[in-house]
Amino acid sequence: MAVNNNSAETLKLAKVLDLNEASNLHGTLTSLRGKDVAIDASGVERVGVQCVQVLLAAANAWEKDSKSLVIDKVSDAFRKTMQLIGINIDHLLAKEIRQ
Amino acid sequence: MDMNEIKEIFFQECEEQLAELESGLLKLNDGDRDPETVNAVFRAVHSIKGGAGAFGLDDLVSFAHVFETTLDCVRSNKLEPSQDVLKVMLKSADVLADLVTAARDGGGVDEGRSRGLVKELEALARGELPSGGASEAPKPPAKPAPAPVAVAPAPAPAPTDDSGFQPIPFTFDEFGDEEATIEPSSFEVVFKPRRELYSKGNEAALLLRDLSRVGEMSINCDIDSLPAFEKMDPEAAYFSWTINVKTTKSEQDIRSVFEFAEWDCDLDVKLAESTDEELPMIPVPFDLDFLNDDSVDDEPAVENHSAEQAAAVAAAEAASNVSKMAAAAARVEKKESQSAAAAAAAAASANAANAAAGAGQTIRVDLDRVDRLINLVGELVINQAMLSQSVIENDTTGTSSINMGLEELQQLTREIQDSVMAIRAQPVKPVFQRMSRIVREVADMVGKSIRLVTEGENTEVDKTVIDKLAEPLTHMIRNAVDHGIETPEKREAAGKNPEGTVKLTAKHRSGRILIELQDDGAGINRERVRQKAIDNDLIPADANLTDEEIDNLIFMPGFSTADKISDISGRGVGMDVVKRSIQALGGRISISSRPGQGSTFTMSLPLTLAVLDGMVVTVAGQTLVVPLTAIVETLQPEAAAIHSFGANQRLISIRNSFCPLVDVGRILNFRSIQANPVEGVALLVESEGGGQRALMVDAIQGQRQVVIKSLEANYTHVPGIAAATILGDGRVALILDVDAVVAASRGQSLRGDGALKSDMSLAATG
Repeated sequence: MAVNNNSAETLKLAKVLDLNEASNLHGTLTSLRGKDVAIDASGVERVGVQCVQVLLAAANAWEKDSKSLVIDKVSDAFRKTMQLIGINIDHLLAKEIRQ
Repeated sequence: MDMNEIKEIFFQECEEQLAELESGLLKLNDGDRDPETVNAVFRAVHSIKGGAGAFGLDDLVSFAHVFETTLDCVRSNKLEPSQDVLKVMLKSADVLADLVTAARDGGGVDEGRSRGLVKELEALARGELPSGGASEAPKPPAKPAPAPVAVAPAPAPAPTDDSGFQPIPFTFDEFGDEEATIEPSSFEVVFKPRRELYSKGNEAALLLRDLSRVGEMSINCDIDSLPAFEKMDPEAAYFSWTINVKTTKSEQDIRSVFEFAEWDCDLDVKLAESTDEELPMIPVPFDLDFLNDDSVDDEPAVENHSAEQAAAVAAAEAASNVSKMAAAAARVEKKESQSAAAAAAAAASANAANAAAGAGQTIRVDLDRVDRLINLVGELVINQAMLSQSVIENDTTGTSSINMGLEELQQLTREIQDSVMAIRAQPVKPVFQRMSRIVREVADMVGKSIRLVTEGENTEVDKTVIDKLAEPLTHMIRNAVDHGIETPEKREAAGKNPEGTVKLTAKHRSGRILIELQDDGAGINRERVRQKAIDNDLIPADANLTDEEIDNLIFMPGFSTADKISDISGRGVGMDVVKRSIQALGGRISISSRPGQGSTFTMSLPLTLAVLDGMVVTVAGQTLVVPLTAIVETLQPEAAAIHSFGANQRLISIRNSFCPLVDVGRILNFRSIQANPVEGVALLVESEGGGQRALMVDAIQGQRQVVIKSLEANYTHVPGIAAATILGDGRVALILDVDAVVAASRGQSLRGDGALKSDMSLAATG
């Protein structure tokens, strides 16, 4: 994925990605549609499944639009929750932080 | 909201669940095999257990748990819900209700009984134990319980993939120890949350975390049903999981993780059939402590062994399977091609579920608030009446617009009043359900076999009436079971079904609720009743009584015909108490009996105790209100129709039949001399016995809906007066207790009749 980080919009995810945040996140991402987006998940402490649903759906949409959507910073909690719920986000992670 | 309030809500919900439980069990007893019924029953016990666990009500939890385990056997078709099984279950439901009551009000329960039932339930659960269970050899269906337990037919061989599962009754304390000797087995868990799971504050990630503590887990998330970004509902549930758990614990332990989410997800737990999985699994072996702090739904059960789990999890930390992750990634890539149909279906089902949840929305309101509202509406009605009165008095011009406005106001207040009353209206179902327990227990005690059939449980009546109905009804049911229905032997000898039937019906009839209690027993033995009444000095030996009058003797104080005084009834404080409580509710009770075919008690009660339609009358310068329901007709007596009878009794002849004339003014002591009937109006009223009486009043002012103000609450009970009200002109009017007045008049005619002496006194004090 060729990403020019300078031109991408940066979206910093909220600390708590719970049920209440899912709609907000969906709204924010909808407003960013058509732009390259870099997601900063470094401040995330808690992740609910519904926000993950939104993120993954967004990833699909961005891919279809041939725009880039990368997660360039992740917190430990974010990464581990993804692993816990069996979601692979490797392909979404910025190269620098892939493990 | 403090803990006590939450607890109070829990107990309220318990009542509902218990009612649900009982009606479900009774349905099963009647042969209903709908899996939803079994589920409802299971859910009820489960919810009670869940709540009780949260409040640390250990007795309740442990009993509910055993009960639930046995119900689970029924749910999974391991146990046939035969009559004998249901008998134990119904008894267990009773004990559960006792435990709930004990937990709420303090006090104890019959320990022996609950312990016995626990054993019976466990035996039932074990009765179907698949052979070849891992830890505990299947015991023969032993019967350690005091009562004989019929265990369902011999257990069918367990399905192969179930062979490790055994419904072992356990308590929460057992969690986390033992199980060292058991080989770890691999379970496949399919977990598909529904939208409600999230909307109720559960979080799939936390459930998965808890699951990961049960054993070594690898997981596959199915994201295929995820719709396109612009079409998705951010709060819906699209993901589902297939999880492999390798654990030494039982299927129950796995299920208990989902305990509080079970009804909001599709969950399938079974032993994994083979080790090679077609699905790519991501192992989840890492330390999950980071999720602990902010978890919202920690269950005590899981907390107990978190330390042990954490250690195990930490040990396996290093193992991270990258290759499987890559495989999972491949799946993610191809998801775009997945059909949109799945997503649409998921969305549709979510919508349907929401609609269903929205259908029966209720709120809990403090009864005091409702009463305050009712009181205020009552004042409004009075005010409206006063307003119209003063308009009529001052209206010299006869402006029709004011009158029309007033009429509309009147209609509106009436409607408001009806709606407010409807808030207090409740179905009689809970009372009826309580009766089925009484029938069960009493029938058990006296060795009879009796079926309670209820009809019209959804008939609604004011809550006060319902609350006060339970006691007299209990009394009558006991009587019907103890005295009314014969023993099975006698019934068979009489050519009847050895199983007796008690039928309880409720229906609305002309603004009142009619409750009928019918038994198909022997009926009233009139000879014996009469003899007993004579023996007890209730009637003179030469009294000439009709069948109906004899039947009604049983309502007299100090009357009991039971040959032997039993624990259940027959202490001579039966029917008179019943009658008095029904009367206190503004109701009437009557009996009709056919020898050999049974008796029917009919109670007619007002729908509400707050308002009444009355006829406003004048008696000796006083304004009285006579409840409209009591009045059959009104008439202007003619001199020719009045006949003297005895010293100071008079009869009125109406359409060729004679009816005693009751001078209300005399009975209430408003005047000392008899009124001239020709100058007044006669109100023909129905008395409880069924006979008619003509109440003599001076004039009729009109009909009006009046708001009842209790005399007892504000002053003290006045014999002959049921309550008071405030009229449109602001004056207080007394509401006549028709039955008491009629009884008093009869007392005069039956002078020396001990049973009615108390009624007599009202003539002096009224």
